[in-house]
Amino acid sequence: MGTEGKEELIPRAAAAAGFETTISRRKFLILTACAVNGLAALSIRGAWGADAPVIIIENAKGLILADPTRCVGCRRCELACTEFNDGRSQPSLARIKVDRNINFGPGGLTSPVMGGAWGNGVFIQDTCKQCPHPVPCETACPEGAIKADPVTGARVVDAVVCVGCRLCRKACPWDMISFDEESQKATKCFLCHGSPKCVEACPSGAIAYVPWLDLTREVPPRVSVLTVVPAEKAQSCLECHISK
Amino acid sequence: MEAEKGREAIRLMLANVVRDASRAGRLMGMEGLLESLKSRGATDVEGPDFPGIDALMDETLASYPEIEALESISGQTLYYVPALLSRTYASILDRKSSPVILMAEEVRRNSADYPRPLPLEIFEESPFDLKPDQIADSLKTMAETPEFQDITFVTTSVGGVYLFSSRFLDRHYAAFLAERADVGLALNP
Amino acid sequence: MSKVNGGFAGKILRVDLSTGAIRCEDTVEKYGELLGGTGIGYQVLWDEVPPGTGALEPGNKIVFATGVLAGTGVPCNGRTAITTLFPTCWPRPLVGSGHMGGRFAAQLKYAGYDGIIIEGRADRPVWISIRDARVEIRDARHLWGSGIRRATLEISREMGNDSVVAAIGQAGENLVPMSVVMNSVSHSAGGIGAVMGSKNLKAIGVQGSGGVRIAGDKAEWERLIKFHLSILGGNNQHVVPSSPHPQSEYYNPGSRWVGMPGKRWGAADPPLEINGGLYDLNRIAFRSNSGAFFLGDGAWKYTVRGNGCTACPIRCHTILKVPAVSAKYGIREVAQNTCAGMVFGRSFFKNLPGGPQGETAIEACMVGMHLADDLGVWCNYGQLQRDLLKLYYEGTLKTKIGAEEYASISWDKYESGDPAFLLDILPRVAMRKGELGHALGLGTGGLLARWSIPEETWGKDRATNYWKFGHPKHHANEDDGQCGAIISTQYNRDPQCHSHTNFVRNGLPLAVQKKLAAEIWGSPDAVDAPGNYTPMNIHKAMRAKWSLVRKELHDSLGLCNWMGPWVASPLKERGYSGDDSLESKFFSLATGRQTSREELDLIGEKIFVLHRALTIRDMGDKEMRARHDLIPEWVYNDPAGTPVFTKGTIRMDREDMVRAMEMFYGVMGWDTGSGAPTAQAYARLGLRDVSRELESRNLVPEKK
Repeated sequence: MGTEGKEELIPRAAAAAGFETTISRRKFLILTACAVNGLAALSIRGAWGADAPVIIIENAKGLILADPTRCVGCRRCELACTEFNDGRSQPSLARIKVDRNINFGPGGLTSPVMGGAWGNGVFIQDTCKQCPHPVPCETACPEGAIKADPVTGARVVDAVVCVGCRLCRKACPWDMISFDEESQKATKCFLCHGSPKCVEACPSGAIAYVPWLDLTREVPPRVSVLTVVPAEKAQSCLECHISK
Repeated sequence: MEAEKGREAIRLMLANVVRDASRAGRLMGMEGLLESLKSRGATDVEGPDFPGIDALMDETLASYPEIEALESISGQTLYYVPALLSRTYASILDRKSSPVILMAEEVRRNSADYPRPLPLEIFEESPFDLKPDQIADSLKTMAETPEFQDITFVTTSVGGVYLFSSRFLDRHYAAFLAERADVGLALNP
Repeated sequence: MSKVNGGFAGKILRVDLSTGAIRCEDTVEKYGELLGGTGIGYQVLWDEVPPGTGALEPGNKIVFATGVLAGTGVPCNGRTAITTLFPTCWPRPLVGSGHMGGRFAAQLKYAGYDGIIIEGRADRPVWISIRDARVEIRDARHLWGSGIRRATLEISREMGNDSVVAAIGQAGENLVPMSVVMNSVSHSAGGIGAVMGSKNLKAIGVQGSGGVRIAGDKAEWERLIKFHLSILGGNNQHVVPSSPHPQSEYYNPGSRWVGMPGKRWGAADPPLEINGGLYDLNRIAFRSNSGAFFLGDGAWKYTVRGNGCTACPIRCHTILKVPAVSAKYGIREVAQNTCAGMVFGRSFFKNLPGGPQGETAIEACMVGMHLADDLGVWCNYGQLQRDLLKLYYEGTLKTKIGAEEYASISWDKYESGDPAFLLDILPRVAMRKGELGHALGLGTGGLLARWSIPEETWGKDRATNYWKFGHPKHHANEDDGQCGAIISTQYNRDPQCHSHTNFVRNGLPLAVQKKLAAEIWGSPDAVDAPGNYTPMNIHKAMRAKWSLVRKELHDSLGLCNWMGPWVASPLKERGYSGDDSLESKFFSLATGRQTSREELDLIGEKIFVLHRALTIRDMGDKEMRARHDLIPEWVYNDPAGTPVFTKGTIRMDREDMVRAMEMFYGVMGWDTGSGAPTAQAYARLGLRDVSRELESRNLVPEKK
């Protein structure tokens, strides 16, 4: 993708951001202004360079879709994720997160309507949205360690490249990046190369692996994020997002 | 050679029809199988070369050992795959056309095998799905018909009615098991 | 113990509430030979709590311990065993353990601990905060006097939403022996509340970010887990559904596998129809609904979902939403529990409008859960309710409490089956209010002594379910003939053993059960049809031993003995056989220490015998057969006079039970005269030190 010209990238980026029709570059810039969040506010520096990092990546082909009405809060998904992938039973490392909502729901004790086992009895599973462009974790990574898996398109952490700075964690509005204290690397949902262990493990059919859809527009953010865009990447942003 | 290939395709089709039906909780009779052949246009069932559905099903049974046949209470032969639809369930489905036989045979099997009497209300539930008046009529018929004289009942201390077959359970033991099921287990969680 | 590479979290936390000292010990080095759970619990009590210590004295210790498989993805783990001197054990406190599920065991492991030993007594109310390596004793004065719900919420506010809190309610604070510790809304361990209260310990909050290492190959681990899932049944490992299912040859109306296509979680939003095959591993969680099993089909419409322990696909705690109870009784409309906890409220009443599965019964259960699970009152497997019924309806109660107090209690509501009665009676128990509240809270033994009622009055009345030492039977002869009766003699509380009953109630036809019994215990005669008991034989004794060994093994591995063992399965292609070696296979893979079924069973036996030794030491008596392994009179009688060993009675024969106990002692390698383990029996299990200590007290039978 790095060798492609910027003109070809625009329609792909538009598609990645959820715009289905072919649109002009100018229109794309206007339309995406709201979706880009903090990016447009960054200072304008430099221009598109041949070796500048490319931050536009294609949409994932699928994602994990959760049905809270079926979830029974057993955490078998979290355990399948870490045991079968990492050989450890460690839900803090899981790339699907249920336990944090089991007691009181996603809003916790400060929510006006208490969810979870102590509240209305509803369990909410938090899953990676495999975000469209701009992918917050990917954009935030100063090392370019988060990439699209060639098969599934899942946004995956390349552990060899990851330096453990944790900026991706701070960037995810849904708090879905896990950090392995042992290896000092970030990790996130990589869709198990196309056959997700969590889906297979769910005893109530409460999670499914489905063709990608844009959940970023459906699910409210869980945390406020710190948007940090490494300077080199910011340049790439500006190439498309600032009209000349 | 060509003809044999054609026959093989038809057998496969019949096997698939039986499998699909079992998966959906249905038994397949000859009529339904013939219909499915017709609707799928697999062969000219009216033509002079058609060997007959009976012969085809005999071949299919030989080629696909997972398929079994049962003699229906109506006298016809029904096909199913026990791995997808258990023998027990298949026999219940078959007997649904005769509530009396359905109830009597189920009561006998339970009395003989487990052994235990059966709560009357189970016949209102799936897959029996009998209406209260059907149950009442069947009980009356059983009481009046010599071949069902073994079917009888006990009442528990909380009023539960349990049916059993005196061929396999004596009354005292049936009463004990009914009381245990209706009262004992609840007090003994 | 040889080197282990996984399974264990690695540390045992020791908190001395008298001094405030917090220390860690190496689990494997110090307790590895005893696995965890009750194994550690018995060892700590043996080593550190001298005979004669009172249950509520600072010298008593509480050992919260889970096990190697807790916190992993092994199905049906999630258990914490809590071992202490039991305050309800009568006439003297002896070792006992309570067991809780929920999220506590997993969280504790993730925080880095296999167990917590609580010692001493704080000089003011405290709670213990455990956040990974950071452990603190914190002030709980502001929590004292509050219920479990408020305590949990306040502690969660301090620790974080994802913490798990095991707390006591007012009952425990007030040193009511009939009290629990509770975590995750409804997961309680009986008998422990007052012991925590006596130490001024309101709660333990845990948060863990670590993990449990699996030593073995992860692909092999995954295969074994999937295999285990394939042989699971419904709750209590009932391997057939409760009515005919298209994929099942067998069914059993008594099965706890009540979820079937067409049933629905009516209070889910939107309601959820159970469709698809219940044999599908992605549908296992729909098999069990304790609401529907215990309260009848009417509970489906109130079902929000199933809930339960971390990692268990069998959701035996059902969340119910009954909107009517809010306005009617002023309680929350959502509640959850299972089994005896779910029917807590209903069990008080002799009669309820609409019967035991009617709407009033369901309301009574909602009120019961709301109160008992907040006040932290324990029912002792229904003994609390049965005691009150007997005392009231036989007129004894009226003579034992003052007229004024008697008149102040809403007996009209009790008799008419009005759940509001519970709003009156349960706070009396939790607050030790009046003579009745005080007496009921003592537990059966204490109550009988206080009111000068001979124990035999209870022991000859089958309706009480009373067994001995202040506690009831738990799946005794009524379920499993001599095997069940033997098991009910062995503990100092109700035995909490399900290895045997899960097999006899699994729902398979007798011929299939007998085929499996022959494979596992060497003869089809190891198992009888219920109420059609045959004279004692050696295979029943072997099955009793196996049941007890597996119970202790499960309690020490963090596994659930309410679900295990898994020796039967729903799989026709396996001839309905499960896997008797499952525990050792998981243990070997998790720890990297190759251990056979026989070797692991030997550890289970060692743990069980340690319990026996501890009991002998603390009773100061080796005549266990005569003074410990007691059988109540009702076992030998039948209300209808039905003779023993005929169809339709649970009556046991005196001489046959003597033979049964002897055969059991025989297969245990114990002295058949006294029922106490011999020096050889201790030595065989690596308990020479225990034996020497008992010998010095003249508590080991002499060689004949």
